[in-house]
Parts: sequence; C-alpha cells; structure tokens
Amino acid sequence: MAPSDSLELMQGTVDILVLRTLAWAPMHGYAISRWIRERTAGALALENAALYPALHRLERRKLVTATWGTSETGRRAKFYELTPLGRKQLRTATATWRSYVDAVLKVLSPAEG
Amino acid sequence: MSHDDPARRWRLLRRSSRRIREDVDDELAFHREMRERELVAAGLPAEAARRRALEEFGDIAALREACAAEDVRGERDERRADWLADLRQDLAHAARAALRAPGFTAIVVLTLALGIGLNAAIFGVVHRILVAPLPYADAEGLVRIYGRHLDRADERGQLSAADVVDFREAQRSFASIGVFRYAGGTLAGDAEARRLDGAGISPNLLSVLGVRPALGRDFREGEGVQGGQRVALVTDALWRSAFGGDSAAIGRTMLLNEQPHTIVGVLPPGFRWPAWEASFLVPLDLGAALADANRARKFHFLGAFARLRPGVDAARAEADLAAIARELERRHPEANEGMGVRVLPLRESIAGEARRALLLVGAAAALVLLVACANVAGLLLARGVTRQRELAVRAALGAGRGRLARQLLAESVFLAAIGGAVAALLASPGAAALARLGAPVLPESIPAEPGPAVFALAAAVTLASVVVFGLAPAMIGARGAVSGLREGPRGATEGAGRSGVRRALVVGQMALAVVLLIGAGLLGRSLLELRRVALGFDPTRLFTFDVVLAAQRYATSAAQDAFFEELLGRLRALPGVVDVGSGAALPLAGGSSASLVIDGIPHESSAPPEVGYTPVSDDYFRALRIPLLRGRAFDARDHEDATGVVIVNESAARLHWGDADPVGARVRLGPDPSQPWSVVVGVVGDVRNQAPDAEPRPTAYVSSRQDHWGFARIVVRTSGDPTESIGAVRHELRRLDPMVPLGDAQTMEDRLSDALAGRRLPLVMLGGFAALALVLAALGIYGVTAYAVAARTREFGVRLALGARPGGLLAMVVGEGTRSALLGLAIGIALSAAGARVLGRLLYGVGTLDWPTYAGAAAVLLTAALLACWVPARRATRVDPADALRLE
Repeated sequence: MAPSDSLELMQGTVDILVLRTLAWAPMHGYAISRWIRERTAGALALENAALYPALHRLERRKLVTATWGTSETGRRAKFYELTPLGRKQLRTATATWRSYVDAVLKVLSPAEG
Repeated sequence: MSHDDPARRWRLLRRSSRRIREDVDDELAFHREMRERELVAAGLPAEAARRRALEEFGDIAALREACAAEDVRGERDERRADWLADLRQDLAHAARAALRAPGFTAIVVLTLALGIGLNAAIFGVVHRILVAPLPYADAEGLVRIYGRHLDRADERGQLSAADVVDFREAQRSFASIGVFRYAGGTLAGDAEARRLDGAGISPNLLSVLGVRPALGRDFREGEGVQGGQRVALVTDALWRSAFGGDSAAIGRTMLLNEQPHTIVGVLPPGFRWPAWEASFLVPLDLGAALADANRARKFHFLGAFARLRPGVDAARAEADLAAIARELERRHPEANEGMGVRVLPLRESIAGEARRALLLVGAAAALVLLVACANVAGLLLARGVTRQRELAVRAALGAGRGRLARQLLAESVFLAAIGGAVAALLASPGAAALARLGAPVLPESIPAEPGPAVFALAAAVTLASVVVFGLAPAMIGARGAVSGLREGPRGATEGAGRSGVRRALVVGQMALAVVLLIGAGLLGRSLLELRRVALGFDPTRLFTFDVVLAAQRYATSAAQDAFFEELLGRLRALPGVVDVGSGAALPLAGGSSASLVIDGIPHESSAPPEVGYTPVSDDYFRALRIPLLRGRAFDARDHEDATGVVIVNESAARLHWGDADPVGARVRLGPDPSQPWSVVVGVVGDVRNQAPDAEPRPTAYVSSRQDHWGFARIVVRTSGDPTESIGAVRHELRRLDPMVPLGDAQTMEDRLSDALAGRRLPLVMLGGFAALALVLAALGIYGVTAYAVAARTREFGVRLALGARPGGLLAMVVGEGTRSALLGLAIGIALSAAGARVLGRLLYGVGTLDWPTYAGAAAVLLTAALLACWVPARRATRVDPADALRLE
C-alpha cells in the first residue's frame, strides 16, 4: 500500500471492509452497506459510489462470486459470496492493516502522553 | 482452471455487454428500492425517501459505467481463459491421440522434420549469402565496377589504371570510388614464413565501404607512393594469430615480403574483405601504373568498389560509365576498342556464381517439403477414416463441425510442432554441413553462423505446412463425422471426395518426385559429360604448389633463374618424382593475357587481339603431358639474351594462322610497340586453361627464362600417390631458402574437384532430395493402395468366391496404383520440360529435354510405384473368401 496514494488506500480500505462483511455470510450490495453502517454505529458510511465498483472489481479478480437470487422481499437480487481466494486475501490484508495501524499508533502515542 | 469446473460451465452462457448493463441497472435499482423502503419505515415521506435514496448514489450514470466496465473486462478475461483452456484441451487430446498411434506419429513427425529441417538448413545458407546484412555501412548503396569486353555480357573483368582515373573524373553516379588489386604476401614468422592473401587498396577504399579500423587509423591520402613509408592494416584474425591481440601492435613493424611494414591499424572483428579472403591491406598508388604509357590503359589489373549517390541505382550507374567507356573507345581505340563496364550491386558481386545454385537448391528443398506435406496429408486422411466412428460419436454428443475441425487441426498443429522442433535441432548442424560441402563455391567473405532468422523460418515453414497438410483433412474429417454414425459398424468405406483428394495427393507427390529426379538426372549427366571432356593434360599423380620470391633478394633475373633452376633440379632428383615443371599459371585456373601482333598479318580492329599469356619452364609441357604438335619445346638455347621464343596452343594457331603453319612466324606479345619481334617455335595441344567447363582459350606460352615474374606455380609428376611427396618437397624448399614458404599445395585432382564443386553441390543436394521425394512418394502410393485393399477386403472375398483369379485381382489393384503414377509422371515430365531452363549454365553437354534422363527418371519412378503397389496388392489375393464374408 503506497501511503502517498490516498485513492489506492481508499480502494484497499473499501475492499477489505467488503471482504470482511462477506466473510460473515453471502449478501447483496444493500445488505453489505447496511451491515457496515450498523456495525460501526454509523461512524463509517460506505458510499454507494465506492461500494459497487469495489464489488464488481472483486468479482473480476475472483475474490468474490456473484449469483442472482431472490431477496427477502421476493425481488431478484445479486448475491455476493467470498471465494477461497477472497478468504485468503482477507487474511493477508487484515494482517497488513493491523501492522499498519500499529505502526501509525506507535508514531502518534507520544504526542498524546 | 480445469475444463470440468462447474462454474466455468455455467459461464459458458456468455453475457453480451447490453446484458451486462441491464444487470448493473437491476442491481442498483434493487439497492435504491431497499433504501427507500428503509427510509419510509424510518418515517420519511415517500417522495423525500425516493429523492434521498437517489442522491446517495451521486453520479449514478458514472457509477453504472464503472461497474459495467469492470464486468466487460472480466468477461473478456474469461473468454481468453476459456480459449486457452480449449486449446490446452485440444492439445492434450492431440497428444493422447499421437501416443495411441506411435508408429503413425513417428512417421509423420519424421517426414515433417526432414522437410522442414531441410528447408531451414538451406535457408540458413541462402539467408547468409543472399539476405543477411553485409558488414559494411549502408551496404545497399555499394557496387562493384567490373571491366568487360563488350561481346562478353557476363564477364567480370578488371579495369586499367588510366580508365579508372577517367571514370572517376567524368562520372556523375557515385559519391566515391575506391580501387584495389590482389596483393599476396609472405609473412616472416618465428618458426616459418607463411603466405597470406591481401589487397592493395586506394587509401579512400575503406571509407567508401564505410569501415573504420577498430584500433589505430585508416590509410592517409598519398600513402603507398613509391619510396614512402610502408604501412599496413591487418584483420582482427591476423592481429590475434600473429600479434597475440596486443594493442601495442599498432606502430610495430611486420616483415611482409621481407620488407618492414608499419602496422597502422587493426580492422574490426566482423570485417571481411568483399572480394576474397584477405588478411592484410596495404595502400595502393596508381602513380607507377599511370606513368607507363604502354600499360596505363592496356594493363587491366584493378577492381573497384563504389558508393552510389542517393537515388541512383546500379543500372543507371552502369549506363553512366558505359557512356564514358564509349568515349574512351573513341579516344583510345588502340587500347579501349571493344571494352565496356559492368556495375553490380555488392551483394550480387559477392554471391557470384553461388546464387543460382543456392536458389535452385532452395527451390528443390521447397519441393521436398511439398511432397512431405502431401504425404502427411494423405496419412492424416487415411487415419481419419479409421477414426470416423470416434469423431461421429463426438459429433453425436454435441460437438459442432467447427469444434471437430478445430480438434483435428490441433492434432496437425501438435504433430507439426514436434516435427518443427526436431527440424530446428537439425537445422544448425545441417546448415553447417551444407556450408562445408559448399565451401569451394560459397563466398568466403560472409560470416557463417545460422542466426535466429533460421529458426524464425523453421517456425514459419512449420505453420505454413500445417495449413497445407492439416486443413483439408480437418475439414473433410469434420464433415464426414456428422453423417458418420449412421453408416454403422461397416464403417470403413471411403467417401468419393476423400479418396479423390488422396489420389490427387499421390499424383502430386509423384509429379514433384519426377521433377526432382529429372533435375538431378540432368545435373548428373552434365557432370558425367564434363568428366569425359578432354582436359588436354593428364591431371593424375600431379602435386602442385606456388613459390613467390621476395623482390629484394631476388632482384635480378639471374638470381630468379638460379633459384628456380636449383629448385626444379632438386625436386626432379627426389625419389618417386618423374617430371617437374613450372609456369605462371596452371590449367583450369585462368591466367594473364596479352595483345598479339603478328608480323605480316594486320589485325582487323584498331586494338590487336588478346591471347592468354603464360611464361613456362622448359619441362612444363612434359610434366603436364601436354602434347607438342609441331616445332619444338623451350630449351637452354632460349636464354635471356637470345631471340624471344613463343609456343602457341592449337586454338591460337587455328584462330590466327588458319591452315598455315605458325612455326617461324614473327609475333609481338604485349603492349610495347618498340619491343623486338619474337619467333613462334612450336604448337602444343589445347588444355582447358580457364575451367573444366570452358572452351580452351587461345594462348601464347613464352619461356620463363625470357620473362621473369619472381613467381611460379610448380607441378611435380610422381610415380605414386602425389600427396606422399609433399614432405620431401617442403623439406627441399626450406633447405634452399627458409624464407620462401610452400604456397597453395594441392594435388591437381583436388583442384579439378574444387573446380567442379559448383556443379557437384547442386547435384548432390538435388540427388539427395530426389531420393527422399521418391521414397516419400512411394510411401504415399503404398499407403493409398494398402488402405484401398484393406477397405475392400470384403469385395475381394466376394470376387474370389465368385471365381475371380488372384492374378486378375493383383493386376486390378496394381493397375489402379499405376494409373496414379503414370498421371504423376506425365505431369512431372511436363513441368520439367517447361522448367529445366532454370538450371541454365549448370547444364553442360545435355539439353533441357535430354531424353535418356527423362526415360531414366520415368523408369525409376515407375519401378518404385509398382513395388509400392505390388506389396499390398498381393495381400488382396490372399483374402480368404470365407473370412471376408464373415466380417459382416
């Protein structure tokens, strides 16, 4: 992750959030957006403009697969599911994120104290 | 991804880009509806909820495009992956099919490898000589200028010094012209002196060629003038072998012809002298040649390389120089009448006579490849029949005609790829062997490594042959398959179209084999004719070598006479030596010429006629076994101060004296009109003095005691194997003068063989190709016949049961094969009769319609075809009627 490239960082962030959400269960886009909003108590609002391109990108990279199914309201909806490849990607990305956050915190903490 | 992945099978239903956009719209609409519903549930009015849900998408059109673009890309990736997976599947299938029939596979691969490898190897040499870049800057703009007699269109002659000067001044076609002449050199070494070939060049010549020395400097204007410092440039190879590749060699001197020369530069490693294999260059000054009024225009000894002005081609440059040559004829008729010029692109000049032979051999190799492809196509078609049920089952399971054709084509590609790979392995050693075989004919001045171009060609030829041999069987096979299953277990009856194609293939192979047989036959007959030609001397048991004396130590004619007298005497005394002679030229190898003026017989044109001119020793004629027809040979009476004596050959006598006896006639040889008359003392038989395949040139011999060249070619006639005397000869020479090396030692029979190499190379190649094509064609007709017999086992059984005689069946089967062979023969003969002209000058003593050759080729082909048909035909007669009927 190149820290100078904020868009790349954003994209990476969206991807990891989506993958994490789908690790819970297969869902459609709306459910993903709602799940993230509720899970972070509204702190992180995932824009639709970021979510949907991310989903289609992850599908192309075979990290998720999509099937058309029927939603809880009985309507035709596109469900996304994590692939084994996506699960692996989630694990490595999570580890990378952790060490990134740790490093940033190490830099920030003396200023607080 | 393996091909049975269920996800992939699902995705086989491909989405169009319109469908992709609809899906994206649907997905986004669903989100909006859900969000709207949620907002309404939270208490918002319906209208506000809808607006808000929509606002949350921002620029929805852009979002929609972004998602669709991802999907379209994904779709494309998938398709590519599918295509690769299909290809892999096809190839895996092809590999399995190939392994199931190892014999078939081996034959196909071997046939293709031979065909492709042959072409790649020959292309390697053709490319090297006719295509690969020459080691000179902008070589396309370089030409060689030759002098020629106007009545000899193909002559590649030399130029006189004064003519060169006039050409240089009056021409408008060249940016620069440089001249050169041959310069031989004896290089003194630590152990033994050695002879080197070199060139004397005008100081501008390297810059004409666009070559700069890798070390040191080029020659300077004015270097080479008599009395100035002697300088030399050496090639990279000589620099390494004689000076250890030491850069300190620049400025050092080397002893060349016993005179110190300062080395001023080393030529770059890739440099080749474009006219012959030269190891050193020395500057050439025309001052002395121009100063001698008698020789300035009459002494033709210079070659010339020139760089064309931009936009001028060789033909225009030739026209330019020809106009100047006409003006020179007018102004100097005594020297220039009948003299013209010839301008050839440098590459053509270097390729020389090898060009025709190479193109011929290349074309023949292409024919062999065609035969090989036809053969493989026939084999694939035959195999297609036995596989018809397999294909039919696949067709029934839903494989389309296109898919089946693709599968069959993949099998062909697979076989061709293996064949091509084997061929690529064969190509490099093949090209090297060809270059060795052709060494006496192929120009030396081009480097010899087969490059990537050869492999690129092998690959291209492989692909082309797939199209030729693979496509038709694939299409026919796929078409047959769709209707194949209905035909039931009887299976193997061949469709009329398929058997027609196979017959046509056999006829084509036969025709091509005939063309190659006749071509090789004509070349072979030419060589036989040449072998029978009366050379005019006896080439057996002759050992020959050169001796060059350094001008300084052997400055006087007396010193030269003494040396040669002593050397010839010592050699004559060696055990096993019968006769020894020396001359300025040996038979078969060309030589110098001089103008001939006969006292009392005025010549018709302004310039006196030219004859060959060769100073020889007293025993020259006896040693070579050239018969003395009239008068006497040279002897001790003909010393330097005595009257000049001349012996003419039969052709010269006939041409210039007709029925009169030339003995006693007074003649003057050479350009100097003040020279006293010489007397003709004898007439000797003609020898092939230019080349084995060239008519004898009218020639005048003079005594080497009366014209001293400081140089001689020595012939030693031995009673046994001439090569056995080489050690003793070398020993005597070294004892006499260790600074004089033994040059160009060879038996006369080897010289003769080298002189014929230009004919032997295409003959050997064409002969080999013809044999190969014949075997392939015979295999082809065998395959077709064997197959036809197998397919008609039942029919034969019925015929035999009904009382047909085995002999009759044999005749019927053989007759069918013979009809194909005869048709192929007729086509092949027609093609040969029309095309034999391309052999051109390679033919000697036979016409392009030489009937014994045609008859011989026909006999060979028909014999092979009959044999190839007879073997399977006999099988037909041994069918047991009961077995054949039970097969049903």
